Amino acid sequence: MHGVMLRSKAAAAALLLVGLVGVEARQAGVQRFDRPQPGARSPRNANYDIDVTLDHAARSLTGRETIRWRNISANPTSELQFHLYWNAWRNLDSTWLRERRLAGDSTPPRADAWGSIDVTRLRVRRPARTDGSFGGIRTNPSFAVQTEGLNGESNTGWIDLTSEQRFLAPDDGNAEDRTVMGVPLPFAVQPQETLDVELAWTGKIPRPFARTGYVDDYYFIAQWFPKLGVLEDRGWNTHQFHRVTEFYSDYGVYDVRITAPREFVVGATGCRASLTPEPPVACAEGIVWLGNNYPQNTHRYWAADVHDFAWTASTRFIDVRRMFEHPGLPRVEMRLLLQPEHAGQETRHFDATAATLRYYGEWFGPYPYNHITIVDPAFQSGSGGMEYPTLFTAGSRLIAPSRVPQPESVTIHEAGHQFWYGIVGSNEFEHAWMDEGLNTFSTARVIDEAGSPDRLALRFFGGFIPWVIEDVRLSRATDGNRLTGYRDNAEADVQATPTFRYWPGTATFITYNKTALWLHTLERHLGWPVLQRIMSTYFDRWKFRHPQPADFFAVVSEVAGRDMSWFFDEAYRSSNVFDYGVQSFTSTRVRLKPDTTSEVRLTPDAVQSASEGTKEPNGYRTVVVVRRFGEAVFPVDVVTTFRDGARVTERWDGRDRRIIYTYDRPSEGLSVEVDPERVLLLDVNYTNNSATLELRAGDASLKWSLKWLVWLQDLMLTYAFFV
Amino acid sequence: MTVPAWRDGLRRVFRAPAVVAGVFAFTLFAALPLALALRGALEAHMGRSLMADAAAEAVNYDWWQEFASQASGLATTFSPAIVGFAATLDNLSSVLDAEPEVLPITAALAAYLVAWTFLSGGILDRLARQRPTRTFGFFGASGVFFWRFLRLSVIAGLVYWFLFSYVHAWLLDEGFRRLTRDVAVERDAFLWRIALYMVFGACLVAANITFDYARIRLVVEDRRSALGALRAALRFVGRHPRTVIGLYALNALVFFVLLGVWSLVAPGAGPVGGLMWVGFVVAQLYLLARIVLKLQFIASQTALFQASMAHAAYTAAPAPVWPESPAVEAIAGVSSTTLR
Repeated sequence: MHGVMLRSKAAAAALLLVGLVGVEARQAGVQRFDRPQPGARSPRNANYDIDVTLDHAARSLTGRETIRWRNISANPTSELQFHLYWNAWRNLDSTWLRERRLAGDSTPPRADAWGSIDVTRLRVRRPARTDGSFGGIRTNPSFAVQTEGLNGESNTGWIDLTSEQRFLAPDDGNAEDRTVMGVPLPFAVQPQETLDVELAWTGKIPRPFARTGYVDDYYFIAQWFPKLGVLEDRGWNTHQFHRVTEFYSDYGVYDVRITAPREFVVGATGCRASLTPEPPVACAEGIVWLGNNYPQNTHRYWAADVHDFAWTASTRFIDVRRMFEHPGLPRVEMRLLLQPEHAGQETRHFDATAATLRYYGEWFGPYPYNHITIVDPAFQSGSGGMEYPTLFTAGSRLIAPSRVPQPESVTIHEAGHQFWYGIVGSNEFEHAWMDEGLNTFSTARVIDEAGSPDRLALRFFGGFIPWVIEDVRLSRATDGNRLTGYRDNAEADVQATPTFRYWPGTATFITYNKTALWLHTLERHLGWPVLQRIMSTYFDRWKFRHPQPADFFAVVSEVAGRDMSWFFDEAYRSSNVFDYGVQSFTSTRVRLKPDTTSEVRLTPDAVQSASEGTKEPNGYRTVVVVRRFGEAVFPVDVVTTFRDGARVTERWDGRDRRIIYTYDRPSEGLSVEVDPERVLLLDVNYTNNSATLELRAGDASLKWSLKWLVWLQDLMLTYAFFV
Repeated sequence: MTVPAWRDGLRRVFRAPAVVAGVFAFTLFAALPLALALRGALEAHMGRSLMADAAAEAVNYDWWQEFASQASGLATTFSPAIVGFAATLDNLSSVLDAEPEVLPITAALAAYLVAWTFLSGGILDRLARQRPTRTFGFFGASGVFFWRFLRLSVIAGLVYWFLFSYVHAWLLDEGFRRLTRDVAVERDAFLWRIALYMVFGACLVAANITFDYARIRLVVEDRRSALGALRAALRFVGRHPRTVIGLYALNALVFFVLLGVWSLVAPGAGPVGGLMWVGFVVAQLYLLARIVLKLQFIASQTALFQASMAHAAYTAAPAPVWPESPAVEAIAGVSSTTLR
């Protein structure tokens, strides 16, 4: 025994050591040189200097950008790969539109709905200095490129590669898809070497697709510029644009000048920044006044340590600002661009955003920027509910009852994405659950913690008229984590499958819902303090970097102090369904043995030998059969309650197909519950988790069938209009 | 003439309590079988689960969603929309938005409307005569007029089918989409929708009024031809548009007032026990009020028609006043198929 214990301890220590080493190795990330630049939060290896002009009449953009890119991977590269997202809506043959048809939407876009992006010029150059430090590309005199490349005054070092563009389809081989562009380089860019890339392009703004586009005089412009893919140690990670995935890119500084007609109010990623070093010029509020006769304004926005840039413009925005302040957290200026018809909903937007900044900040880590922009999207813009660094779109309605969590729910969710997606830059093509799932879980927690509205509303008459069902309160555990959607699609895909390969019609349920449910299960299994430490450790370790799933799982095991791979084998690496339930529950009169005390659990053999004799029964034999109906395994508690008030709790590892508990007691069994605390939120059928001898189904069904009867009578009388 | 006809109609309805009670009982018992079937499905799903406890005492939305996940056919209609005033909104919205019902409900509705068609003859006859007709008289009239009403219903069915299949699609599907395609303000889109509802509603009301008076003329004038009654109804409406529409509008106003009151008092989920039954009785009172209102539509329109056509009573022979008399129409060379 002692020898066994010693060997067990040694094995445990070895396991822990291997685990820690493994954790350390995994902490290296997908890019060898992904540490922050001095004085910065992120590697800042993809910096964009962009000029763009919005042509409102033509619904188009004309842009020019200079990218200063540094290879932070472990290997050299002789090509560049870019995302040209808007080509997903160029024609019906793109991968995005093909997948939309697969998901059941085969309505072709109207003639004026298409979008596209064309690169009209592309050239590269190795800059004179490659110290890799951040500096304003425009004004830093150490870079010779400013006065030369952009104005074409000198061609020193620039190599024109416009004609070398080719389109790639690394995911599905679709030769018609033009959302990934590759450009071979005449030289190799070594690790840590910097390259300047200059592009000019035109973009046709689509009617709303994937939260991008215009309606009337409202524009939401996202994924609008040629964007470099991510060069990882294993090579370029540049996926095609899929219907069910979002984006992935490197961190850097964005210095963007947006020229739009004067009457437009513009909002964008970034704003005032008080980072060190200071930006070269004042940003955001730096509207360049071109004189009274000029019909346009140029808005300059600057953002550091972000991996994307989106902007919006509308003639109708109401611009409102408030300050977020909370002890222990940095101040953040909140800017709300509100639709006039939602006037009066300002406080709801600000309160929801503030709740996010507060609770995410307390639980995971402080929001590092001093600004955030909330965009209230225009009706039918299709741009609601989406996140971009330091800017996000919410979504409300003309009639938004105060007891219903709209706009709170979407506001908290999208604000939360600043943390999961914005700051922790996971790959949304391959592991969308790492931002959407974590964020769905976090959102539900904030809504619950902040006491946000929690009633259900149904919408009638074309969706315009809401009616609040006061009796239905949405719960964090099941509604917030979206159990219903998961239940109906639990086996759709193995979550470990790269997201872009999920079935388009059900991807959301695996990405958002399943992750939130297993996270909440972990919370109940490990306790919130442990899970909070897990998430804050993960946030702190992977902020401004690109984590992989293994990195998250490693943090879980590390902080939990035990190997949790068994859980992720079930929840993440398989599509098996969790379903534990009561197969049978009986309590029959028996003659108890003389030495039977109040708590006797009999083994199968003892059940056979217990004598009932011919004497009067003086007790009860309660038999509980619990079954694992699903294929996934999770330990569960089984609690049997007796009429005398006693409760017996058993802990079952859940591995066998069933387990039988038998009790001989003076008191009759009353009820049995499997997982009464509902730790296993992934259980798709909770109704079968319990059984009672005091049936209430008759009462409940009577009550609800009477309600339904009234509904049917009402319906009949409504149709009586026609006779 | 509008208000007097309205008052006269109300008087006729309250003087026919057996009709009111009969229609109420008929509606209740028409819906009961399906309610019993649903009860069975609910009870079977809950089984011996403790989830039934919360469902009995309040709303167990978790269980509700689990039930919905496995529901099919009739059971799919068991949704939060059945609670309180949401049920009324749901039903009105589904008609105005032309949302189809599931097959068991559709079948039940069809049977209900056929039964209404049968009973309508007896109801109209009783309200027109303004005196008790006894059970045999009521059902005798129902039988007499049933086939005529059925023929009229075929025409009405075609008209309503056209309205819902084509006019509704033109207005509220394609039309709404086209009109609001570039609308970025929800209020504007909402106003468009209201306007289109009003246009479609006007079409429905126009058809409804016409068929109502066709039924009235079938019974009051004992016409044989459904087409003839329809043409006669069109003539009548065409000659008395203000009073006809005014009376309809007055009844519709009462309907909206009733809905408003119901929205305030409609019971929620509540627990089992005494409160459950109180809530059920309150709901039945609301439904009773709707039945009274439905009968009021019929009675007041009948009163208006009889007053307009100078019928002193149901059996009184009309004075030969040009051009409002069937006798006059007969001698004026109108097609014989329109007359008795």
